Amino acid sequence: MKKINFILFTASLFVLSACSSDNDTIKDEEKPTITINYDGGFPQVCESLQRGETYTFRARLADNEALASYSLDLHHNFDHHTHDDQGATCSLDAKKESVKPFIYMENFSLDGARKEFEIEIKILIPTDIDTGDYHCSFSVTDEVGWQSRTSVDIKIVN
Amino acid sequence: MGLFLLFSSYSYTQQSSYFEGFVIDSITLKPISGVTILGENVYAVTNDSGYFKIKKTKLASEVEVSHLGYLPVKFTIDKNQNSPLKIKLKTISTSLDEVSVHSKSANRLAKETSTIEVAVDEEYLHANRENSLMQTLRKIPGVSTMTIGSGQSKPTIRGLGFNRVSVIQNGIKHEAQQWGSDHGLEIDQYGIEEIRIIKGPASLMHGSDAIAGVVDIQPAKTPAINSFEGEVNILGETNNELLAISTGVQGRKQKWYYRARLTYRDYADFKVPTERISYENYIFELDNNNLRNTAGQEANGSVSIGYVDDSFKSETYISNVNAKNGFFANAHGLEVRTSSIDYDTSNRDIDLPFHKVNHIKIVNNSWLDLDSHKLFFDIGYQNNQREEHSEPVPHGYMPKPPNSRERVFTKNTYSLNAKDIFKLNDAHTLSAGLNTEYQNNNIGGWGFLIPAYNRFTAGIFLFDHYEANDNLHLQGGVRYDAGSLKTNSYYDWYRSPRDNNDGTTSTLFLQRAENRNLNFNSFSGSLGISYIHKNTTYKLNIGKSFRMPLAHELASDGVNYHMYRYERGNLDLDPESSYQLDAEVLFESGFLSLSVSPFVNFFDNYIYLNPTSDYVETLQVYEYTQSKVFRTGGELSLGYNFTKSFNVNASAEYVYSRQTSGPKEGFTIPFSPPLTGTLTTNYQFGNFGFLNDLNLTVDMRIAAAQNEIVPPEEITAGYRVFNLSMRSKLDLFNKDKAALLRIKLNNIFNSEYYDHTSFYRLIDVPEAGRNLSVSLTVPF
Repeated sequence: MKKINFILFTASLFVLSACSSDNDTIKDEEKPTITINYDGGFPQVCESLQRGETYTFRARLADNEALASYSLDLHHNFDHHTHDDQGATCSLDAKKESVKPFIYMENFSLDGARKEFEIEIKILIPTDIDTGDYHCSFSVTDEVGWQSRTSVDIKIVN
Repeated sequence: MGLFLLFSSYSYTQQSSYFEGFVIDSITLKPISGVTILGENVYAVTNDSGYFKIKKTKLASEVEVSHLGYLPVKFTIDKNQNSPLKIKLKTISTSLDEVSVHSKSANRLAKETSTIEVAVDEEYLHANRENSLMQTLRKIPGVSTMTIGSGQSKPTIRGLGFNRVSVIQNGIKHEAQQWGSDHGLEIDQYGIEEIRIIKGPASLMHGSDAIAGVVDIQPAKTPAINSFEGEVNILGETNNELLAISTGVQGRKQKWYYRARLTYRDYADFKVPTERISYENYIFELDNNNLRNTAGQEANGSVSIGYVDDSFKSETYISNVNAKNGFFANAHGLEVRTSSIDYDTSNRDIDLPFHKVNHIKIVNNSWLDLDSHKLFFDIGYQNNQREEHSEPVPHGYMPKPPNSRERVFTKNTYSLNAKDIFKLNDAHTLSAGLNTEYQNNNIGGWGFLIPAYNRFTAGIFLFDHYEANDNLHLQGGVRYDAGSLKTNSYYDWYRSPRDNNDGTTSTLFLQRAENRNLNFNSFSGSLGISYIHKNTTYKLNIGKSFRMPLAHELASDGVNYHMYRYERGNLDLDPESSYQLDAEVLFESGFLSLSVSPFVNFFDNYIYLNPTSDYVETLQVYEYTQSKVFRTGGELSLGYNFTKSFNVNASAEYVYSRQTSGPKEGFTIPFSPPLTGTLTTNYQFGNFGFLNDLNLTVDMRIAAAQNEIVPPEEITAGYRVFNLSMRSKLDLFNKDKAALLRIKLNNIFNSEYYDHTSFYRLIDVPEAGRNLSVSLTVPF
């Protein structure tokens, strides 16, 4: 019986160590947020952008601790490879091959440990690029490395 | 009941100074190797022919014959016995339930080893067979899996996986693309007779990568003289509409023997207990609960030929594993995809994205007995070919690629191991050995993830097993490894714009990997003690293990579009080193078994892919980083036989991990398994109509929520899932060789639950729904 007691003792030690709480550090387990669903948010779902025009892309960012970086990506969806995450379905043009697609990829970093920020990026849509279905994807990271993304279907027209 | 003793009448006379005999299986009549014959001052282990001999002067009156998976036998030896003794052992499985891993592992040798080991036999594998080898083994406390759909999985031991667990088959380390998250093991799970699992650092004997443990698939036992036998196994499953057939034969004349096996499996998309998958803001409607395009097929074949006599054995084994598996069509990795492919016309077809793998293995195991020295040689060649296909889509500056061959890996691995085990004196048994491996990895396809490389590693070790007395064993050893890695440069096949200093922009073929020569070396070692006192075994082991950084951890620099990330290697990474203290207390009496195996582990530099807050080309940069990590946890297991036919087994496993330095200090490490418990009840009905040895098992697996996460993981809720299984023997064609029937119902209540370490977890895909499987094994 002594032996069983010893084992039970070891077992309880093990269980205790397993259940010991860890209050060593408070971790940031919250992702930042990103939205275009407000009055000034741009572009909205199924928005049509004209070549030769300059637009200001706007999205709202927020984080519980500190925002770190954000990016904006515009690329064509001539092959209908995906749909946006905004719920609405836009009518897509027929599939086609790209000739001179518009590609916009830029990254920006934020300093000063901001908790809120509104993205404002001015983009001139070139006049010589392919018109048709495009995607607009925003993404944001916080200081810890959590990321959030949102994307929306748009069109570039003449 | 459990003991058969036959005193055979071999006609030849033998030297009278030795007492000798054979140990064979009571049913198959095959010789059993590694059987312990133990008495006061007597210790012998049978060789591959089941043969043992004991000096007569040492002969005790009573000895115990015990082996993993068999009922131990005690008997008294007549000192005047001259003809060899034939001992038949009866398998334990006929009287114990399918999850009594602990009672099965309780063989003498495992007890004398200070490392924490679990061994499973063919019976266990048969009783617990799931869709892939590692899913079959996940019931073992401390062993878990990362599953990729229904047909693939890879091992994790105490929360560590990928290249931190060595999988060894027939003495040779299995080398596939184990670093990849969507890659399974390419091993035919049929025809495996025994697997030993080491939970804990095992670099000493197994080199780099055995940092968390080893899944050691043992060579099959030598068939009995003048024998021929075979079996056919057919399996059907409802969840993924699987049909599988595997058939194996083996035979032996006198000294030459052979084996052969063919396996074919074909399965459809697996079903999940939900009609839609909600991932981020996307919603994927499923057709008839089918996880679109997760069907697969697998065709494996192997042959071996061997020669055995009293002092020499050599077996050459050639196998080929070929598989094609589809990946979930709506999201490949994290990337959401729409496609014009009509995935729902058939749930059996495999459309894009999918991968094809082929693994060729040629292995020779030889063994030479020079009385005091026993020499072992393992020579291996492996060719792993993996092709990942997906729809060609432009990404970033990359135009639409010309074909679907996204990534192609061709990896050749040459291995040579040599080991000498020699008895220095009665107390010391020394093992000295050498492991070498040369690896050549080539890449192809339009997607870049890891560079091509050549790698050479070599290690030498010396190990001493000191037997202070029958019940007190000390073991220790040291090892030195050196390795070199040469990575090849890689340039994009398309141009990307880059800003110049003068304000202009040029378009360049960007360099993604450099030509580099890197050298590594590492010392490792371990020291342990095992003490057996009556029914209790105590073990304590401390070990240092290491792992050489992999090519992609060092040198990758490119976009992984499917994971929406930019992966960057770090050429300054050191060989990963880990220190671990393991303990185990195992108590076994007739009705009760209890085991506790806690561990404490410290990593000097745990290497992982750390999500930073930076972007490159609008993708988040993930950087290979090393940080200090503290881990602790262990397993607890309790088995109780209420009656001879009613048995309950409860077990729990837990791992706590903390990064104690680096950018994610305070966080856990990726893929940490939650606190998990299993409760199994088993009832033997005996013979029931035409069903012989009817056996019913109900088990419940409970996992706590996993709230310990590190970016980009999500918290996973806890779950409870119930499984039911019925096994029985049938007299179909041959009275002596009963057919085995197994009917299994997994996830009885079709519960929707998520496994924190599953590949599809990150896109919020639940685990497979209810599955009824029927398996019949007919021996001939």
